[in-house]
Amino acid sequence: MENIGHGGKEIVERVLPKDTAIKRLGELKATKAKVLDIRAQIATEVIDIAYGFFTPLEGFMTKADVDAVCDRMTLADGKTVWSIPIVFDISDKELKEKGIQKDDTVILTYTGNPLAIFDVTDIFTIDKKDVAMKVYGTTEEKHPGVKRTYNYQDKFLGGKITLLNPPKINEPYTPFWLTPLQMRKRFKEKGWIRIVNHQTRNVPHTGHEWLCKGAWLQTYGELPIEKPIVGVLVNAIIGEKRPGDYIDEAIILTHDRLRTAGYFGEHNHMTSCTFWDMRYAGPREAIFHACLRTNLGCTHHMYGRDHAGVGSYYGPYDAHHLLASVQDKINITPTYSMNWLYCPHCGEITNEGICDHKKEWQKFSGTVVRSIIIDGVKPPRLIYRPEVFDVIMETAEKYGFGSAFVTESYLKKRTPVFTIEPLK
Amino acid sequence: MAETYPINIWINEERLAKLQKAGLDRLTQEMLAGLKVLRVPTNEKQRDEILKIYPMAKYDSATTKTIELLPKAVKDKIFDMVVDKKKVDIMDDFIKSVKK
Repeated sequence: MENIGHGGKEIVERVLPKDTAIKRLGELKATKAKVLDIRAQIATEVIDIAYGFFTPLEGFMTKADVDAVCDRMTLADGKTVWSIPIVFDISDKELKEKGIQKDDTVILTYTGNPLAIFDVTDIFTIDKKDVAMKVYGTTEEKHPGVKRTYNYQDKFLGGKITLLNPPKINEPYTPFWLTPLQMRKRFKEKGWIRIVNHQTRNVPHTGHEWLCKGAWLQTYGELPIEKPIVGVLVNAIIGEKRPGDYIDEAIILTHDRLRTAGYFGEHNHMTSCTFWDMRYAGPREAIFHACLRTNLGCTHHMYGRDHAGVGSYYGPYDAHHLLASVQDKINITPTYSMNWLYCPHCGEITNEGICDHKKEWQKFSGTVVRSIIIDGVKPPRLIYRPEVFDVIMETAEKYGFGSAFVTESYLKKRTPVFTIEPLK
Repeated sequence: MAETYPINIWINEERLAKLQKAGLDRLTQEMLAGLKVLRVPTNEKQRDEILKIYPMAKYDSATTKTIELLPKAVKDKIFDMVVDKKKVDIMDDFIKSVKK
């Protein structure tokens, strides 16, 4: 019982060995089990559940779980903190056409190939407006999480998931997608006893780099320094993309370049990616990130201002306050950070909590840096490492059809992050 | 003075050469660790109109209070108008030109 995840539960992979999976699939087909082909978002969550990223969840939520998450921010047990519903939606029409009923065992396929077994134990509806209000604090459709909630089909299936067919992770993601158990094994090999997570969907500028360096120092705290025992885990969220976002390949490869270019090292930095469609739920998403990264084996988690927020729906420190309210029920320590900026007087990147040359501060954000790159201008090395800029340009050519930012062409023609191949 | 919400036009060698040729390089400022920028002011109404015309653009309200993420072609057009009119207060004319 050494791989303990969120909620004090052991991380258990719900993945059948290949021979068993082929046999089980044959049996289900022989009994004419119903088959559902699922979309990418559901497929990624099936994979997440099966490998324990969402421990202690073993499947998609039942009505009791969804209600508890919305009303009390716990699972149905009333004890385990959970902030975002993980649901499997289906249209009334498809439900009727397939004749799916409670206690059915359904074969889930993705792109036509078998992916998992779904033991349906609950079929239910939700009040979408009520869920939106409780999870996102708003019912406005322009909030992307609310929009997603409203776009769900009318019925929901709850029940356990068992993976039949592991995903084939495509290049260049192969070395970066690690399951929670693989991640923990890697930390052990590195000798890290504390790991601080950096949540990202961005190419790193030096503000991000120093956010990580500052959090690494905070995390080191009172530990002995004779040998490196603390690491930064950059965990990039791979999910639904919108035009104008950085392409996934650029995000992953630039973060890794910070390590290979020596701004960090093998001894204290590791880049990884995890499948998740951001909900932009601000404070509640911060809690979800804490649960997810606990499962990855992290002991600490970085939180800046307006973590995982969007627009002006949440106050800059709402996430910090909500985290504080459940700190005794989660197993990860938040490391909070003030903004990093450039001070021409100091001639360096510094922190607004440290430097007092307030009138001279030159603040910058991910948005400003993106704007510079869109203008075709190479940012100064104090703002953007030249090695990072070079990787952006390379990935734009190699993966982005000439652009480091998501375009319609990229969305249509990109290599998928994973594929599900025939099971044989 | 009324608050302005500038559009940052970042200056590369090509843009700097054009500004120098027009004798306008004095209009640039150093904004980020030596990086030069031409700040084209907009008032609140102009800012909102620009964000409506170009929905991919973003007003960075938290950090810089500037309009960012305009496509390069749009910024090139604004830049050319500044050089042509030899001043940065060109937003009314620019908005009129794109609305035509």
